[in-house]
Amino acid sequence: MESLLLNPRRARPWLAGLFAMLATITTQAAAPRLATLDWTLAETLVALEAPPLAVAQVEAYHAWVDKPALPATTIDLGLRSQPNLELLASLAPERILISPMFANLVPRLERIAPVESLALYRPGRDTWMEMRELTQSLGDLVGRPEAAERLIDKTEARLETLRGRLDGAAPALVMVQFMDSRHVRVFGDNGLFQAVLDRLGLDNAWSGPTNAWGFSLVGIEALVGLEARLVVVEPYPAGVRDALTEGSLWGHLVEASEGAPIVLPPVWSFGALPSAARFAELLVGALEADDAV
Amino acid sequence: MPSDALAYRLRPRLTPVRACLTLGLAVLALALVELDIRTGIGDGLAALMAPGYAAETLVVHFAWWPRLAMALLAGGGLALAGVLMQQVLRNPLAAPTTLGVASGANLALMAATLLTPGLLGLGREWVALAGGGGAMALVFALAWRRGLAPVVVVLGGLVINLYFGALSMVLLLFHQEELKGLLIWGAGSLAQNGWQDAAFLAPRLALGALAALWLRRPLAVLELDEAGARSLGVSLRHLRLAGLGLAVFLTGCVVSVVGIIGFIGLAAPNIVRLAGSRRLGARLLWSTLLGALLLATTDLLLQRFSGALPTLIPTGATTAALGAPLLLWLLPRLRLSGEALPREARAIARRHPAPGHLAAWLALGLVGLGVVALLAGQTATGWHWATPDDGTLLQWRLPRLLAAAGCGVMLAIAGTLIQRLTGNPMASPELLGISGGSAIALMGALFLLPAPDNLTLVGAGTLGALASLAVLVGLNRGSGLQPERLLLTGVAITALFDAVRAVVLAGGDPRGQQVIAWLSGSTYYVDLTSALTVGGATLLLALAAAPLSRWLDILPLGGASATALGLPLARARLLLLLLVALLTAGATLVVGPLSFVGLLAPHLARLLGFSRAGFHLLGAALCGALLMVLADWLGRQWLFPEEIPAGLVASLLGGAYFLWGLRRL
Repeated sequence: MESLLLNPRRARPWLAGLFAMLATITTQAAAPRLATLDWTLAETLVALEAPPLAVAQVEAYHAWVDKPALPATTIDLGLRSQPNLELLASLAPERILISPMFANLVPRLERIAPVESLALYRPGRDTWMEMRELTQSLGDLVGRPEAAERLIDKTEARLETLRGRLDGAAPALVMVQFMDSRHVRVFGDNGLFQAVLDRLGLDNAWSGPTNAWGFSLVGIEALVGLEARLVVVEPYPAGVRDALTEGSLWGHLVEASEGAPIVLPPVWSFGALPSAARFAELLVGALEADDAV
Repeated sequence: MPSDALAYRLRPRLTPVRACLTLGLAVLALALVELDIRTGIGDGLAALMAPGYAAETLVVHFAWWPRLAMALLAGGGLALAGVLMQQVLRNPLAAPTTLGVASGANLALMAATLLTPGLLGLGREWVALAGGGGAMALVFALAWRRGLAPVVVVLGGLVINLYFGALSMVLLLFHQEELKGLLIWGAGSLAQNGWQDAAFLAPRLALGALAALWLRRPLAVLELDEAGARSLGVSLRHLRLAGLGLAVFLTGCVVSVVGIIGFIGLAAPNIVRLAGSRRLGARLLWSTLLGALLLATTDLLLQRFSGALPTLIPTGATTAALGAPLLLWLLPRLRLSGEALPREARAIARRHPAPGHLAAWLALGLVGLGVVALLAGQTATGWHWATPDDGTLLQWRLPRLLAAAGCGVMLAIAGTLIQRLTGNPMASPELLGISGGSAIALMGALFLLPAPDNLTLVGAGTLGALASLAVLVGLNRGSGLQPERLLLTGVAITALFDAVRAVVLAGGDPRGQQVIAWLSGSTYYVDLTSALTVGGATLLLALAAAPLSRWLDILPLGGASATALGLPLARARLLLLLLVALLTAGATLVVGPLSFVGLLAPHLARLLGFSRAGFHLLGAALCGALLMVLADWLGRQWLFPEEIPAGLVASLLGGAYFLWGLRRL
């Protein structure tokens, strides 16, 4: 029952109706009619309890960001890179929120409503500070600055608690996500996961260069020789888990890992505070689980 | 003789033996240096047999040696397949992927990932092989009744490639996150995780090489013309089936394991032939060796130099990036015999008795379709018929309609011109490299500038198109703009574009989705000003093309006949080329480089019965406009609110009609 409530896609029609009513009641208060193309902005807005009216690729959001879930009434705008303009215009939003990635759409979107571009993961900036600023600007935009402060305080306090629960003897980690059986994304500088590790006082064993999104695409052989514990962020691409047999390089990496590899459920690796909190929760939970064993 | 010897020493000629020897030494030296740096040469050689216990020897045993073996195997296999393809299809532009093997494998992998992930548990190779085999079977089924005649096989393969490519693009557009791993496969990475894949590939390639050896005498017959071959009592159909089947088997095996490796299968056989190898046996041997060594050299260099980058540079894309300049450099230096091009292309369809009436009907259909596309559409609440004075809706729809029609006309005319200019049915504006050049520049702008606006993007695209044209004309002016050379130059530029695209997408940058959206040919980014500009340019250029129809009737007869009929050959070619470049650039900037209308519309017009150049141009223009307008409207309604780019829908629609037409032949 709980999963039914948390996952509006699977909810029965009457539940969806209930959600719709609740959503209208809660958003009626002050929140402006916002549309956003960016999932990171969408997840933050939901966490601020001012969910957007319309989001691009709603179904894919639920597959990749998952929580916090969008209200069932959220209208799907189509592709993030090419939102449906006729539909967007007919919804008459008060404001459209984008990230700089979609800058080339601005002239078109501006004919519908004022456009606000909010950046995250700018190179050379402290990612955590950027997340705080992003949350604050969004709080101001929806007229709920106090909710933004609450979200920031809550997240930071939670991460502080989690940090306290680690005994400080944890080995360095190397966080990867499989692309296929021979390639992984390894997460490092300028990314969400690195920012969380820093707050938790954990070390990242990957010091190699990363792209503007905080990861580097490498062949598995690049991980050999790192003295670290493996953290695999799901999902595994189809068929890959079976292909990672022993007698391969991965088998040796697992043997050499400092502690059994940790496997975490999917987390949106380009997210903001809500995704950060979720990742921290899952990671610390996994680290504690095998301390208990 | 001394003077000969001197000249010989001063200008050593490129021969297949020399090329292979040089590359072989390069591979050996690079490999030894690499081993020396990693573990020391002795330990490195020992690690070939046993992994050892140190981290370095583990990597050498499980990753480095298998990777070298894989590079040699894959390069050799693809080059061998390339020779077979070019021999059977008698077309130097044929490549191992011409029959749709790679796109079939790609589509099968994507579909399996999304629909039946369990299948991939059995092994990715098998899914890919099944997809590639399926694509090949379709092509063969289409061309069977015509005795697997090269033109029909090539056209069938081309359309299957477009069709499956378009379907894969649609899947990719809507499921980028799920399919990101396959983008690495699509870019051809040789990174290894053990010896399993090399062990899968080696025995299959050995089998294929033996079969090629056994087939080399019968296949040599295909160099004769059709009547000559028949008089020797050979069943052409079975011979072609055997040759193509073998090539497809080799390609399928390689592709299923390492993904799509560009250019080797096209370049190695061409280099060997241009370097003077004529007999099939010699070409098979040297191409295989050269292909293996080319890929191994590229991969070793890549491993040496790409370590510092924050992203993986897949080898398959690199071969194309390096091979393209190589081919461009070789082209002006080497003799190229023009006799290998197919000549049957023109006899492919019957002539319509009254093309004027047919054109009038098409024009009427276009107007009707335009009205429907303007007024009918979906909104948040369902289907809705707009009134003609509904400005708020029409402000979105009118520019897209105009741009779709304009681009359809421009690409169709460009395609007709280039197909008649070169006499090659595989020729299309995309193949000339002009759209490729502008696409490279656009991707550069999207990725290197922090937040590019549309004007910057258009500017970058124009610059790229101009640069391509400069390369095209500059490299080929000396040869009087010979069609074969033009096409090979274009193929090289297009290969470069494919390489850049593959690298960009494989890296997994979220901006990749924008690149995919733009590349698939959408009218999404058009506003009224640019739509009117497109419309004006279309009219102007179409009017410019009309008086050239006499040239276009004569040019496909070949250079000698054209000169005999008093045609100023070099000037005519340059003028037509310029026109094609302008048309292509104009259309590319609006709807992206991959709409395929330029390839499909001239063939559609021909299948409908437009035969003489003047009517062919008109018919193609109308078909192009109809196709694009219909595609644009369907693409916006089909999966509402998500929009499928017009270019993709056009390939799907046009391709379906085209396949039906081929089957009817």
